[in-house]
Amino acid sequence: MRALQADAKDNVAVVVQDVAAGDEVTVTEILRVKVCEDIPVGHKIAITDLLPGDHVVKYGVPIGEASEEIKEGMYVHTHNVKDITEQLCKEYAEEFRRKAGEISGTDI
Amino acid sequence: MERTFNGYTRADGQIGIRNYVLVVSMVHCSNTVTQQIAWKTGAHAITHDFGCAEFTDKHARTRLALISAVMNPNVYAAVLVGLGCEQTDHESMMEEIKASGKSVSYVGIQESGGSKEAVIKGCRLAEEYLKEARRQKREPCPISRLVVGVQCGGSDWTTALSGNITIGAMTDLLVGEGGSVIISEVGGFPGSEHILADRAVNKKVGLQIIRMCDELREEYVRLHGQTIEEVNPTPGNKAGGITTLTEKSMGNVKKMGTSSKIQGLIYAGEHVPSAGLWMLDLRAPVVDGNATSGFGMAGAHMDIFSTGRGTPMGNAVMPVLKLTGNSRSYEEMKGLFDFNAGIVLEGVSVKEAGEKLLDMVIEIANGEETKSEINEDFEFIIPRENNR
Repeated sequence: MRALQADAKDNVAVVVQDVAAGDEVTVTEILRVKVCEDIPVGHKIAITDLLPGDHVVKYGVPIGEASEEIKEGMYVHTHNVKDITEQLCKEYAEEFRRKAGEISGTDI
Repeated sequence: MERTFNGYTRADGQIGIRNYVLVVSMVHCSNTVTQQIAWKTGAHAITHDFGCAEFTDKHARTRLALISAVMNPNVYAAVLVGLGCEQTDHESMMEEIKASGKSVSYVGIQESGGSKEAVIKGCRLAEEYLKEARRQKREPCPISRLVVGVQCGGSDWTTALSGNITIGAMTDLLVGEGGSVIISEVGGFPGSEHILADRAVNKKVGLQIIRMCDELREEYVRLHGQTIEEVNPTPGNKAGGITTLTEKSMGNVKKMGTSSKIQGLIYAGEHVPSAGLWMLDLRAPVVDGNATSGFGMAGAHMDIFSTGRGTPMGNAVMPVLKLTGNSRSYEEMKGLFDFNAGIVLEGVSVKEAGEKLLDMVIEIANGEETKSEINEDFEFIIPRENNR
């Protein structure tokens, strides 16, 4: 059974078939993860332990924040992840504008 | 050694990968005559519900879409079909088209003496153009001349994971060889503006991207009283495994690959001013055909469409290469898909899949028909944007 890690920095992977508690998924040649709970195909599995407040990283970027403790092998979805998109984008946009303003002296 | 494809050289120096002949309706009154000419000759019809009694700003878009379709480098010649008293000014359109060296004629239903007579006249013109087009020989061109639009729709859990990532690998390769790729579907950008702005070639372009996303976010709140995060990801997305908007948006932008910088933004009807990765700022409703026609209007030679579940998308001015990330969909709908990126989920590397996809892009540029062409899915819709 396999789970696909989209980027080497990711702490979650996507299972490419339905998996059940007790299964083992191969993520990379050197990483196998024991599945803690049933996860449907296309959904995410934690490949490291996460603490509340930790960023959930997929595609090499934070896609959300763990809202509770998530152990390796657990199912990662809306029940244990907070969507922080608005905050991430706002912070970033402000930072980008500030830096660009410093360099060019004007906002276009 | 630089890779090449065999294309058609146009009078204005552009290169086409097809020699399509278009029959373009000037107004909704001439739609059926237009369709009959196309059916009888094998030319591609463009019909729509506009062209008369439009407000000036709306009519400007109608005209822009129709003329941009004809100006696509894949179009050899066009027959414009009107009623005779419509708002669309075919004479000024013909002047513009002729200035590019392309052949164009007009058939008016009233001046022809009725529908049947207009069909006969239109068929004669279209057949003549098709005959000329068949005589033109293809010539070798470097693949750096290729312009490809990339999009996705009819998505499933594989779209981001294997489909779009394979397109991204192809984007890296084609742009690396000096070619051009256009991304659009800007409604899918909010949520990854921080990623997109970081990929901009300079701060100015980065700020334009952030401003565009800000405007889109404001527009949603103004028109619907809700933020994009309140309605996205959708219940269907969540059932498919998408947890947050950034995750959804990132899956979408994967089509732009990882190595090229975004050179800038282009707008409806504009061609890419130089080679590289470009963003088409087209804020039309998120309906697949809007982006496809938008790419056609931008002079793209081909559209690569990632669809997990499978849609029949095609276009009147471009071959559409349809790719699925789902091997099961591919097996079930072989008559619809051109490329199976599901191989990535079975252990083939993304890079290798991207190379195979680029090989197919070059074969199609050489004249190999896509399923969209074999199935005669030659649609075209006029992309409408608010306040533009």
